[in-house]
Amino acid sequence: MAARFSILDLGKVLFRPGAVFAALAAESPPVTRVFFGFALWVGLLPPVFACIGTLNFGWRLGVEPVFLPRDTVFAISAAYFVALLFGFLSSAVVARWMAVTYDASQSLGRCFALMTIVGAPLAVGSVIHLYPHVFINVLVLVPALIWSMYLLYRGLPIVLRTGPNRGMLMASALIAYLLVAAVSLLGVTVALWGSGLGPRIGT
Amino acid sequence: MGTASYQDRIVTAFTACAMFWAVLGMLAGVYVAAELVWPTINFGQPALSFGRVRTLHTTLVLFGFGVSALIGTAFYSVQRTSHVRLFAPGLAWFVFYAWQLAIVLGGCSILAGWNSGKEYAELEWPFDLAIAVAWVAFAIVFFGTIARRRMESIYISNWFYGALIIVVAMLHIVNSLAMPATLGKSYSLFAGAQDAVVQWWYGHNAVGFLLTGGFLGMLYYFLPKHAEQPIWSYRLSIVSFWAFVYTYIWAGPHHLHYHAIPEWVQSLGMVMSLILLAPSWATMVNGIMTVSAASQKLRTDPALKFIVLSLAFYGLATFEGPMLAIKSVNVFSHFTEWTIGHVHSGALGWNALITFGTFYFLVPRLAGVPLYSARLANVHFWLALAGVMLYVLAMWGAGVSQGVLWLSLDELGEVRFSFNDVMAAMKPYYLLRFVAGLVFLVGAMLMAVNLARTFAGRRTIEVAPPGSRVGAGGRT
Repeated sequence: MAARFSILDLGKVLFRPGAVFAALAAESPPVTRVFFGFALWVGLLPPVFACIGTLNFGWRLGVEPVFLPRDTVFAISAAYFVALLFGFLSSAVVARWMAVTYDASQSLGRCFALMTIVGAPLAVGSVIHLYPHVFINVLVLVPALIWSMYLLYRGLPIVLRTGPNRGMLMASALIAYLLVAAVSLLGVTVALWGSGLGPRIGT
Repeated sequence: MGTASYQDRIVTAFTACAMFWAVLGMLAGVYVAAELVWPTINFGQPALSFGRVRTLHTTLVLFGFGVSALIGTAFYSVQRTSHVRLFAPGLAWFVFYAWQLAIVLGGCSILAGWNSGKEYAELEWPFDLAIAVAWVAFAIVFFGTIARRRMESIYISNWFYGALIIVVAMLHIVNSLAMPATLGKSYSLFAGAQDAVVQWWYGHNAVGFLLTGGFLGMLYYFLPKHAEQPIWSYRLSIVSFWAFVYTYIWAGPHHLHYHAIPEWVQSLGMVMSLILLAPSWATMVNGIMTVSAASQKLRTDPALKFIVLSLAFYGLATFEGPMLAIKSVNVFSHFTEWTIGHVHSGALGWNALITFGTFYFLVPRLAGVPLYSARLANVHFWLALAGVMLYVLAMWGAGVSQGVLWLSLDELGEVRFSFNDVMAAMKPYYLLRFVAGLVFLVGAMLMAVNLARTFAGRRTIEVAPPGSRVGAGGRT
């Protein structure tokens, strides 16, 4: 199963993750297969949904909707995709780097697969971007995030073949990295915005 | 000296009071969070107004919960790392009663409307004097114990606790310099922009040396004890201590970006805040590497999970802080709920969780019996994680929305959305924050019950300094 780990396995990843974890533990998939067969397509979902939602409904921040020029929406969606891609690749590489400390498998293919699985609930949950009301997005994405964290804590020790205790520690260390990555994305976004590289609202 | 057991009754007293203030302070926080959603629940009573209860919340959690936990753990660890009993135990009990009395009466004075107008230093001058006296007494007991130590070196946790004592004394005394007008009202000796600079020199370094330095002292003693492993790199801990002490004291002006203070002062505050990331993360790496060598303990020890998670949030908060200090980020984030989210990722995620982990370790040892319920502690762990994550995410959503709305201009270049519009848009996030706070509070209440039940079945435990004659006692 692991050798043909692809987007077609999305249902299994979400609803029968145990079987996927076991298959990945038994056999490390090739990095290219994971990336081009699964991660890339999952990563495309949030920007595509966000792009469609913003064009049709505008950003809903609790007051009147904010519509952006078409080119701006495309540019922001592309930047969103690049940021997600960077987050995915860096998380997989960081996981492999941490694997030395926690005596886990250093297979890059397994690290790629694990981060794909962890990101899957959030990517599917991003369907809510079709209606970009910020609070409704928070309400939907928080349970998706909890599901992602559950998959990380449960899956890491199995996929990367380390003990449950070391796995718990490594998952917590990865959470720290992911939290920092998330807040960095916020910071970089508003810094670019502040320096005039963002969309201009209302002018 | 060295002929009797360590003085742990005072540690128990501080621990019990810290838990009491934690529950009460968080309850006040949840109440003011509810007021932001349903403003009428203050019932028109001034004592229940947001301005007073919010101040009560910060005072109780910072000085009631946080400082009681710090003094208690400092008294516990300084005896064991110095191999002597506390110096001047009578004075130590004076510190205990004076501090708790100041919190009780100070809390009442805040509800009555006494307020100096300085954030995190709202207590009026009679309390400032009492706090200064109690703090100096704390310093005498702590440094007196170190002076009588039977170890050549001073262990790293004591450096951090020592820095906490010295710097907080300096900050408190300078920032509280005021001219009393009546018993309940005084006026700061500083005025205008100078007052603002002094206030945030105090405010930021209270965060630095109390909420960071003091709790790092707790971490450096209790994590290795808990993990039964030496610190991963003792040298790194020393280097990070001095880098931390030197850098932190300059960072305060980042609270005053784009205010009426010299621009070079703002830029200096920003640069020093960015440099601060290095010593902060050195400590995080040291902690994570120490605990990674003790993974087998996680199976039997729920408390270690709290410490592991606290390190993750310590990493987040100490990264987010320097990032928010960058002027081009701060122009967006300042005055938004993002700042509140940042403070709580540190206060709940780091300070509260490291203290919870420490208390789950400490109380069974003080009581001489196992923890009443490891299962309850595990439930508390997941409630705490859910609460803090929900809080941070709600405030990120709220803060970014506020920033976008406030910076939106209309066709004439005027502010597009009124204050009322933006406040109304925040209501759902405030509701989410209320739920998050409630979840975290329920976890803390479960912990209080768990620790109380543990202590109810206590045995008398007396641990003597090495080389002395008195050992463990029997059941009471």
